[in-house]
Amino acid sequence: MTTDIVTIERDLQELWKNNTAEAAAAGHSTTRALTLNLLARASSADEADAMGAVIQELTASHPCRAVVLIDQPATGEPQLEAWVQANCLLPAPGAPQVCGEQITISSRGGRAGQVASLMLPLLVPDLPVVLWMAGDQPFGHRLLGKLRGVLDRLIVDSAGFADPIRDLVTMAAFDAGDTPGPGAGPDSPALSDLNWARLTPWRELTAQFFDTRPFLPHLHRLDHVEIDYVAAGDGGLLRALMLAGWLASSLGWDLVDGGVSRAGEEISLRMVRPGVGAASGDTRPVTISLRPAPFDNNALVGLSALHMRAVDHVLADFSVEHTDSPTCARTVAQADGHPTVSRLARVERAGAADLLAAELRLLSRDRTFSAALQAAAGFARGIIVP
Amino acid sequence: MIDTPTLENPLRSGLRLGRTPEPCTMVIFGATGDLTSRKLVPALYNLTRERRIPGGFSVVGFARRDWSDDFFRQTMLEGVNDNSRSGKVDGPLWESFAAGMSYHQSNFDDSDGYASLRERLDVIDQERGTGGNRVFYLATPPESYPVIIRQLGAHGLNVSPNGGWTRIIIEKPFGHDLDSARDLNAQVLSVFHEDQVYRIDHYLGKETVQNLMVFRFANGIFEPIWNRSQIDHVQITVSETVGVEDRGGYYDQSGAMRDMIQNHMMQLLTLTAMEAPVAYDANSVRDEKVKVLRAVRPIAPADVARYTVRGQYGPGNMGGSPAVGYRTGRGINPESQTETFVALKLFVDNWRWAGVPFYLRTGKRLPRRASEISVQFKTAPHLLFADSPTNDIEPNVLSIKIQPDEGITLKVSSKVPGQGQIRPVTMDFRYGTTFGVASPEAYERLLLDCMLGDGTLFTRRDEVEASWSLITPIHQGWAAGPRQEFPNYEAGDWGPASADEFMARDGRAWRRV
Ligand SMILES: NC(=O)c1ccc[n+]([C@@H]2O[C@H](COP(=O)([O-])OP(=O)(O)OC[C@H]3O[C@@H](n4cnc5c(N)ncnc54)[C@H](OP(=O)(O)O)[C@@H]3O)[C@@H](O)[C@H]2O)c1
Repeated sequence: MTTDIVTIERDLQELWKNNTAEAAAAGHSTTRALTLNLLARASSADEADAMGAVIQELTASHPCRAVVLIDQPATGEPQLEAWVQANCLLPAPGAPQVCGEQITISSRGGRAGQVASLMLPLLVPDLPVVLWMAGDQPFGHRLLGKLRGVLDRLIVDSAGFADPIRDLVTMAAFDAGDTPGPGAGPDSPALSDLNWARLTPWRELTAQFFDTRPFLPHLHRLDHVEIDYVAAGDGGLLRALMLAGWLASSLGWDLVDGGVSRAGEEISLRMVRPGVGAASGDTRPVTISLRPAPFDNNALVGLSALHMRAVDHVLADFSVEHTDSPTCARTVAQADGHPTVSRLARVERAGAADLLAAELRLLSRDRTFSAALQAAAGFARGIIVP
Repeated sequence: MIDTPTLENPLRSGLRLGRTPEPCTMVIFGATGDLTSRKLVPALYNLTRERRIPGGFSVVGFARRDWSDDFFRQTMLEGVNDNSRSGKVDGPLWESFAAGMSYHQSNFDDSDGYASLRERLDVIDQERGTGGNRVFYLATPPESYPVIIRQLGAHGLNVSPNGGWTRIIIEKPFGHDLDSARDLNAQVLSVFHEDQVYRIDHYLGKETVQNLMVFRFANGIFEPIWNRSQIDHVQITVSETVGVEDRGGYYDQSGAMRDMIQNHMMQLLTLTAMEAPVAYDANSVRDEKVKVLRAVRPIAPADVARYTVRGQYGPGNMGGSPAVGYRTGRGINPESQTETFVALKLFVDNWRWAGVPFYLRTGKRLPRRASEISVQFKTAPHLLFADSPTNDIEPNVLSIKIQPDEGITLKVSSKVPGQGQIRPVTMDFRYGTTFGVASPEAYERLLLDCMLGDGTLFTRRDEVEASWSLITPIHQGWAAGPRQEFPNYEAGDWGPASADEFMARDGRAWRRV
């Protein structure tokens, strides 16, 4: 058990020496590959184990210098411990084995400043620095303040937020850089929400309808949207709000004053969109309904259906709906004067490592996410203050 | 109809996957053949599985055998289950995909078959919303290309109804010499426009080959040393361990030069030598590639002995077990003069490369499967460490490995700790985006690009002809020369001894790959 930088670095060297020797004995060579610094903060040893497993899996696409912090400030006597390990992939025949490395720091009864002072010198220069915080919303965490200016990306998962609607508003404020909290402000890191990443297949299937030329004009004529979400379970409502926020921000729909109403779990949003054709220059009403659906194991990432319709003048209807298969959604596109196009599409249940990998591929701020988040936060504020 | 305010899909922005193509129908000529069930349909299924292809997408298999739609679907299902990189199909997903598949029985020269194909395509447009968009895929013996192209033209299938698009994909081999390639181009272009034509070289669909361009043009540090003043020579090796297996009949007519050099290895040479294109689009990239091919000094028939080496394998041992010789294979002439090994020395006569030899080497039944490009730099100009025990310091070598395991190795000199000695060490690094994750099959990328109308990774007319114009004189020189003493290397050797002498004459040696 080691606690100072010199010892940690010596342990790392030792680790690589042994690792290389072991690989040589097993008849292959080993390559240490680091593509980023991934800091992960866990609030218990169990959570750290789970995050460690994800990081190990992530080695396939993003071998990294991981620093996992088990952060238990309220537990016991102040104590700081650290240990190192290599995260290796099984080598393909004839190929060198690829490994990343992980340093785990357990901090009890400590202060954020002390922990950060240990994390900062462990960062490999010239590689992006990403902080992944699981669990409840972390936007007030001291660590964010200590890592200010160093952090390139903060990754959270809004499915774990304790007070989803309010925390969504907090997250949007952080992303917009207009909160006084630690780490926020103009040099705040790019933000990723794994819960938003879960929506990617739904967004793809939705966008895909309108890659087809004859359907594209109807996108600007939509006037009814219904999103059925699984209310039980984690993050379903926030995903529904973000999906609605994405449509609204991409298509230029604005919430009308007092346009949010809530009846139990059902939320209705009254909006306006720019008029098209003869109504161009004018606005037209659009409604979005978020409706709770009964819990269903086959609901894909907590959504069970999305319906989009245009009823004014020419009828058009686009839907993505979950099916009896746990991996497939049905998409149906219908518009007057065009044959109905229907098919099954796979909607994979992405694990945490897949979701993380997708976010790590982004090099800059995800502007689409930011815009969708701001719109969703607008809806959330309407829910909080009726 | 309603007017379109914009042609852009605003929901696309910020999505990680690119745009999907318009729904279309792919007509596969030769659908009962090996390529269709082993590569094409598995690639189409995987594209569907990854949501890269939209609803409505349809496949029509066109061949001679009397198959029903159901039998066609069933056979393709088996093909996908056996060959797909994603393993066995997801049942409901396959059903949905296969609902768009049908079989069209006809002989390639039967005019009625095309008339009924046309009707069938119209019905699919009506029922499945494919909007007149069509891809014709020629997965047939090359002798059949002309008749199919003629018939498609005669039935007006070279243009789409109601504003859709029509494209044609042509498999390799594209011709067997310069004249036949020109003839074929003339026939294709009498019916289709060049921008409708997609000539496949599946090597270009490999992510590792595309990464070569990324590596060169995304890393500025190599540009200033990528030329004749720093580089001594370049070696390009594509070695195979396999023999000809059951393609003997085809291979004996073709040989390593046509099968490997004319297409794949010329691609590697052009990607290594080309200038940076002004943009990453189909014509800019291909313009630069053609410039390289045009700058390659042709090997005149009279010079083949100086610039080429041929080989053919005899019996030997592969990986510890005995292997038969080439001439004993099925469909092969027992006196065959066909080469299974070629080495070439080429020069690219332009400012960047003048005087730098490019050595190309490919063969079957070699000890190891590997594709790599290795760039050998000149030695340090002044021997500063002349009194070190090894005073011939080895030159730097940059090797770009493409197969089986992608990456770059840089060989540099370093001091042995505690001694005055200097010895070579290698620095290995990988530059792919993945470190062990299966990358998509070449055909997936190419089929999708074609549906999207992106020809960057396909071979243009002038490119094919420029390449053949380098190959054909060599064949002529070989044909005019003496018979070869074949076989001249054993299966499991690194080619004939003459290949090593060929390098030794220049004071160089093949790299061990
Ligand atoms: N196989 C590969 O791995 C591979 C790799 C690279 C390139 N290629 C190229 O791809 C092409 C196809 O290869 P393949 O191996 O699939 O060929 P294949 O197995 O020999 O199949 C030939 C196909 O053409 C059909 N056909 C031939 N003559 C016909 C006629 N007169 N009328 C109607 N149909 C006819 C056959 O139909 P019936 O059986 O019904 O008669 C069969 O479907 C070739 O150009 C080859 O060079 C193949």
